[in-house]
Amino acid sequence: MLSPKDSPLGKLLEQYVCVRITRMDDVDVGLFDRDWNNAVYFFALNAEEQIYFRYGGRDSASPDTYLDLHSLEAALGDGLGMHRRYLGGELKLPPRPQAFFPRQIPLLAQRTFAQRQCVECHLIGDFQNIQREQAGTLDKLTHLYRSPDIKTIGIFLDVPKGLVVKEARDAAQAAGMKAGDRITALDGAAVATFGDLQYRYDKVDRKADKIRIAVDRGGSAVELTVGLPPRWWWTDLRFRQSSVDPRLDFEDRALTGEEKRRLGLPPDGFASQVKHVAELARALKTHELRVGDVIAAVNGVERDEQANTAELYLKLNVKAGDSAMLDVIRDGQRMKMQLNTHILSFRK
Amino acid sequence: MASTCVVLVCAMAGAVRAADEGVDWLGDYRQALRLAKETHKPLFVEFRCEA
Repeated sequence: MLSPKDSPLGKLLEQYVCVRITRMDDVDVGLFDRDWNNAVYFFALNAEEQIYFRYGGRDSASPDTYLDLHSLEAALGDGLGMHRRYLGGELKLPPRPQAFFPRQIPLLAQRTFAQRQCVECHLIGDFQNIQREQAGTLDKLTHLYRSPDIKTIGIFLDVPKGLVVKEARDAAQAAGMKAGDRITALDGAAVATFGDLQYRYDKVDRKADKIRIAVDRGGSAVELTVGLPPRWWWTDLRFRQSSVDPRLDFEDRALTGEEKRRLGLPPDGFASQVKHVAELARALKTHELRVGDVIAAVNGVERDEQANTAELYLKLNVKAGDSAMLDVIRDGQRMKMQLNTHILSFRK
Repeated sequence: MASTCVVLVCAMAGAVRAADEGVDWLGDYRQALRLAKETHKPLFVEFRCEA
């Protein structure tokens, strides 16, 4: 028979003051900063509003990839330990972040408060980005491609065990990370949960070529330097509601070097082949691309420092709602084709 | 348009809700902060976007 207060989770929660917030209107989003495309997220903190840990975070595959009751229980236990050290004056924490409220985002205030509409979580991030775009400070690598996926650098976690590594591949393996390591810090910032790790990883400068990850290996502290591969920051944006993301209604794949050579395209260009066309493309008159088409250039540009496909080049360089001219190769014939990107409807 | 928040409510959240029946959850952050100060307990804040 379920007896929640006597359950391991219930016993832990009873030692906290628990509060559930379902409206973001008056929440200090400076203090509770996070990736706003998470529908559920937790923070543990003290009465001075110093954060012990974040719990939450997701990847593009699923909203609950990293959520697990065992890891939550472990985090809650760790949080109580931190709190005891805090009360004993033994724990040094970063200062409380500067307060910032949704009403301070002018466009968000116009579209929600002024119309008596709820401030939904994802709207906070979206309207922050719209404001940045209008101010000329939007950095799509940072603000659109939020929460880079740690699997891209080869870190696969044993999710019920929190930050214990299940398998290290690629860059993480090359740096010396091993299964069983427990990640404890990223670039010097302590991390206790996946939510902490993802939040700190998101703060890494997108131009960085390496990060420092500290791990606990059998009781010993080990510092690893992980080299970051090209486009380490890239994530699948399809689950996000973002109106600074130009909607393209197609997906592509990078051409191989041999495919580029056969087509006479530059080996370092971003030429790509269309692999999927959304049904919306015809209805919205986005473009007339077909699966199999090769996009050789966008607005006459064939190469880019960041993009390895035409789709990514468009995402990074075209403003949502604007048009671009594509150089398309279909059945060996090169043609020009207009692409009209569109914006998510809630912005209108 | 249905909000992302509705679409993305996950199994984990449901599991926590089911398991914590009986644990007192406040609905007011300021009240919770005051209680944390009075009781010297830490705070555990859940954000659940249900709009």
